[in-house]
Amino acid sequence: MRCDLDGRVAFVTGAAGAIGSAIARKFADNGGRVVIADINLEGARQLAATLPEALAVEVDIRDAAAVEAAVEATTGRYGRLDILVNNAGVNTFAHRVTLDQFPPEEWERVTSIDLDGLYLVSRAALQPMLAGGGGRIVNIASVVGMAAMRLQSAFVAAKAGIIHLTRSMALELGPRGVAVNAIAPGSIMTEGTRKLFYGVDGTFAGRTAEFMQHIPLGRPGTPEEIAEAALFLASPAAGYINGQLLAVDGGWTAGFSV
Amino acid sequence: MRDIEIDLAGNRFVIIGEQGPLRHALATALRQNGGASADTIAADLVIALYPLQPEDGPVPDLLPDLREHGQRMAAGSGGRLIMVISALASVPARRHPDYSAQMAFAWAGMRGLSMTLAPKVLVNAVGVGLVEDEGALLAGDRIMLGHAGLPRPGSVAEVVNAVLFLSDPANTYTTGQLLNVDGGWTVGYGRNF
Repeated sequence: MRCDLDGRVAFVTGAAGAIGSAIARKFADNGGRVVIADINLEGARQLAATLPEALAVEVDIRDAAAVEAAVEATTGRYGRLDILVNNAGVNTFAHRVTLDQFPPEEWERVTSIDLDGLYLVSRAALQPMLAGGGGRIVNIASVVGMAAMRLQSAFVAAKAGIIHLTRSMALELGPRGVAVNAIAPGSIMTEGTRKLFYGVDGTFAGRTAEFMQHIPLGRPGTPEEIAEAALFLASPAAGYINGQLLAVDGGWTAGFSV
Repeated sequence: MRDIEIDLAGNRFVIIGEQGPLRHALATALRQNGGASADTIAADLVIALYPLQPEDGPVPDLLPDLREHGQRMAAGSGGRLIMVISALASVPARRHPDYSAQMAFAWAGMRGLSMTLAPKVLVNAVGVGLVEDEGALLAGDRIMLGHAGLPRPGSVAEVVNAVLFLSDPANTYTTGQLLNVDGGWTVGYGRNF
């Protein structure tokens, strides 16, 4: 698929990671100018060096001042901000436990990045976006925000929060020219999620094989498959799509498929 | 460049169901993107257009035809089914209860087909909100306008774009999904409160 982003400026958080970098590349391939925003500045710089007219910025999305500085760097460079992809997020690896044992500091770490950070970035990015007459926001949620899973309560709660926040944003901002939608990736295989799926030492391999039986397509997805959906929802082609959640999950949330 | 371009070279499509401007626009767009119209046996992309203006009375059930196409695709080299239904499938309207129920039936049928025909056949739907074509009502009910996030009706082109996205050969991990093209009507309460 090709969509003409026509020089639009896209601010992508977590863009040095697997899904974020796939989205950044896809946008650049379709005429977008991409801001690679990531807590990993070196990774952001390496990716930006491979894309035309890209900018790398270091940002910890929990830090409101750092977020505002990153957005100011964007408008300082390009004079505008048209597209925001809230992709940055974390899950818990070490604390796969039930809620009664879930450490408060881990809850804070996950929700402060996944939900609070999305709010901070959206708030800052909306200033130039609204001043420019509108734009498009794509929030990367998760299927666990639709169908809960065990042992990831903070992540589940944060992603469900993103989904409903997307709807609220869509209703608030649509009349002002900003459409807001979300993607719920299913099981996406990356270096990071390989550890989540299979465990550091392969402990979860059996569990993962069983889980794949619940996915009609029978396989994990790829970052590129998420990027394809992000491109469409960020493009003018999706003009009348607002507040929607698109699961890109191999059919996992279509029903009970075992 | 068009809003969206996909590579349908080698794909053969069939559109079943409703006639009218949307069907014409869809066929044109699919051909512009390399698709070729086919007879019902050979198709690897089947698009089912349901009635999009809420009316009393029975809505044609296109699921049996879709199932037959899908089973043929699953036994062969695979393919895609796309249903174009009303956004009332996911949010029933008080003034159109029977129509809403029939749309919800179609939506549930789509989800079932996506599971039974996987992994070779991808099955998705577009849920259409208020759409006008040159001022004429094409889909939905004008009462929807005051409650949607975007303060305007949608266009035929915007519905076509969503169908093209779901037809995209590079869009390979999306199945069983309903993508509403409704300006945000299904999202919540689109008024200040």
